[in-house]
Amino acid sequence: MRALKLSIAGVRGVVGETLTPELLVDFAQAFGTYVGAGPVLVSRDTRNSGKMVMACVVSGLMGSGCQVVDIGICPTPALQLAIKEGPAVGGIAITAGHNDATWNALKFVREDGIFLNPRQNEELLDIYHQGEYLKAQWDELAPMASDPDAADRHLQAIAGQVQVSKIRAAAVNVAVDCVNGACSQYSPKLLRELGCAVVIISDEPHRPFPHPPEPSRANLGQLRAVVRAVDADIGFAHDADGDRLGLVGSDGQIYSEQMTLCLCEEMILRRGDPGPVVTNLSTTQTVDDIAARHGRQVHRTGIGQAYITESALNYRAAIAGEGSGGIVFPRLNYAHDSMAAMVHILELLAGLDRPLAQFIEENIPRYAMSGQQVACPTEQAFSVLETIRTQQLPSWALDRDLQDGIKIMGDGQWVHVRVSQTEPLIRVIAEARDEAVAQELVRDYLGQVRQLV
Amino acid sequence: MAGVRTLKTGISGVRGVVGDSLTPHLLVSFAEAFGTYLGGGTIAIGRDTRPSGEMVRSALVGGLLATGCNVVDLGIVPVPTLQIACARNREIGGGIAITASHNPQEWNALKFIRFDGIFLYPHQVEELLNVYHQGEFSLCGNSQVADVVIDQHAVDRHIEELLANVDVSAIAEADLRVVVDCCNGAGSVVSKRLLTELGCRVVAINDTPDGIFPHMPEPVPEHLQQLEAAVRQHNADIGMAQDADADRLALVNECGKAVGEEYTLALAAEVVAARRGPIPLVANIVTSRMLEEVAARYDCPVHRSPVGEVNVVMAMQQAAQQFKRTGQTSEDDHVFGGEGNGGVIDPRIHYCRDSLRAMCLILEGLARHGQPLSHWIAQAFGASAITKQRVECPAARLQPVMLALREEYADQQLDLTDGILVRWPDRSWVQARPSNTEPIMRVTAEADDRQHAEALAERAVKVIRGVVG
Repeated sequence: MRALKLSIAGVRGVVGETLTPELLVDFAQAFGTYVGAGPVLVSRDTRNSGKMVMACVVSGLMGSGCQVVDIGICPTPALQLAIKEGPAVGGIAITAGHNDATWNALKFVREDGIFLNPRQNEELLDIYHQGEYLKAQWDELAPMASDPDAADRHLQAIAGQVQVSKIRAAAVNVAVDCVNGACSQYSPKLLRELGCAVVIISDEPHRPFPHPPEPSRANLGQLRAVVRAVDADIGFAHDADGDRLGLVGSDGQIYSEQMTLCLCEEMILRRGDPGPVVTNLSTTQTVDDIAARHGRQVHRTGIGQAYITESALNYRAAIAGEGSGGIVFPRLNYAHDSMAAMVHILELLAGLDRPLAQFIEENIPRYAMSGQQVACPTEQAFSVLETIRTQQLPSWALDRDLQDGIKIMGDGQWVHVRVSQTEPLIRVIAEARDEAVAQELVRDYLGQVRQLV
Repeated sequence: MAGVRTLKTGISGVRGVVGDSLTPHLLVSFAEAFGTYLGGGTIAIGRDTRPSGEMVRSALVGGLLATGCNVVDLGIVPVPTLQIACARNREIGGGIAITASHNPQEWNALKFIRFDGIFLYPHQVEELLNVYHQGEFSLCGNSQVADVVIDQHAVDRHIEELLANVDVSAIAEADLRVVVDCCNGAGSVVSKRLLTELGCRVVAINDTPDGIFPHMPEPVPEHLQQLEAAVRQHNADIGMAQDADADRLALVNECGKAVGEEYTLALAAEVVAARRGPIPLVANIVTSRMLEEVAARYDCPVHRSPVGEVNVVMAMQQAAQQFKRTGQTSEDDHVFGGEGNGGVIDPRIHYCRDSLRAMCLILEGLARHGQPLSHWIAQAFGASAITKQRVECPAARLQPVMLALREEYADQQLDLTDGILVRWPDRSWVQARPSNTEPIMRVTAEADDRQHAEALAERAVKVIRGVVG
């Protein structure tokens, strides 16, 4: 049975199994109770189950006296921006992100357009567990409203962040894979607005995901083929709900998702936006190299969108993002935004005096990353980690970070051992200049973990 | 409402107070139970104008989609319109009406409908409740989640059927002036239009479909003062009042006096029996004896059933079956019935209470008769007064109450169809039964005059109070 997952990422489960209508209704009532009666915006991605989930959520929100505003099928960052800019007291995005189509989920957004932070998520869970919800009387119920323009306003806001004329002048040749997700009706439109010649793959919101809706290397084969076939300058891949971006270079090279952050970071720091860079513990040290080149600090957080956005806020970051391809542009909004990342990379591209591949070769240090995981029952995980934390550091170690498991950093290499937030696993990730070194680091620490489990 | 238990599940579906017992959680589970019970397929939903209707609707859509059903949403419609839509569309396997009929505004409820547009029979409601209580629903996966389709034309189709089955030219020729009071309920989306198409001069009051009831949504005389005044003001020939879901109708005569909701069925039966001959007439046990007067006039057999639309319908179907064996052609012509609370059931259209069908029949009768309503009534029926009372009676006291009543009337012949009914040779009667929807006993009595009727009722009420305390 594929379990229900309650985490700081919201509540997620398999439709027809663990994500039941009762659960959805109750969580919606809990959220309505948490934010109080007021406008609550609801969006969804293109999953077929979205209409079922939506109906349950609407009923629960209404039951708690909220005024539900349906903004339809649109990217999650569009929901977040609409909440931030309007009178809404919060919102719910109905999307399971990179999970396959059998899943769906609720992500909870607060008044300022940011996901609930871990403490707030706990408060919400407490209300859900207590089961005592605000119950609106018959004359306190608000009729449903809709705001079909929220996604278009998001596009305008994104365009407003970059030099549109500069991008138009470059007349970039682009291939984009919308994975039949929430960006399908928006990304091509935005690209054309920016004067790009666009070849689109998978922009049909009523058809199933053609591949797992995650813009990672394994899923970008078709995009690569198209980039080569049409001789595109660059290829972009969105995830199901528009928060993460994958890249394919003009030579057909599929970049790791880490490259998305690196290029966006380069762009933002060149632009001179003040502030440090925020990323998570498992993201490449290239981020530090780029920041150093611009004289900026880097702050690293635990894994998870909520941590990234909280830290971006707290440190007044110039840019924040994760190695998964989810980038936050604080000047726009504190939200992971795939189309915003796309557009900033286009501006970078437009300003280069050489091909992107060459620029990357010359300016973006590349490291090799390796990772593995081992099953470990939740009860044991923390004591295993404690043991590793307290043992003596290896000779190459220069520093360590204990925020999330243990990360040991050296010169041009690091290894990170942590417990997964979502499954009973311990993950070991390492990075080094040399692939063999990275793999060795992983093997070494994985072995240690295995011995302890 | 703290401290008062308000949830009620039973043969009339599930009913409760919004913001109290009628929660989205409960509603979504009931929808899943229904979808599971029917095994998926296409299910139609419709609602009255109550503000809580949207919240309920959304829960139903969620629960139905989750069990793999297709949903056809008719929007705000009279209950008969939804029932007829289920019956006419072969693809529709069932329906759910979102309405608490005559209950005050803070209530709402679900009524479950079969593929043939009739409410679930009692044993079927039991089966559904079993599914609900077991809590194991047939949930479908992502790829099997079906669609919600909005159907905005159910009312159009209902009107079309009604117009095809009534003598429109006779009504139009009579140039009747009608005031209709829709109580800001579901009738608001159809009544004025229907009456206009029938060729009447229509004044509609309380026809804003916002569910803010201007008066209690039960069309009994004490709630119809506004309509009475409007009839006088506009010099109308007749006033017509609907309840919140437009299945019941009550009348106001040309003098601006509410005649009492019992006359709706009586007059409609008069019109139908005059036309169709000695077909069975069926009503519930507490409907006025005026039905027997009509029956006597046209040689119709009369059948009485327990209270509740579905009980009347079952009795009608049975009577129609029996009559068919005598060799007539169309079964739908073979029976007519309803309830004395203003609910007319004419299978020529459909086996459901339909205030709109009632309007058509009565206006046709009035047009043909050529006389004011008060004259028609005086000519058709002997003097009658009916009184309807309620006495609080918790379920635990029901049995001793029934025993006490049987003792009280021990020297009479008792009809135990539904509670206890006593009839006297002068055609007066009293009936006492537990309500299906509230913890009360209902006492109904009819006699030639009000004083007598009230005395009959009072006697029974006293017995009940004596036991309950």
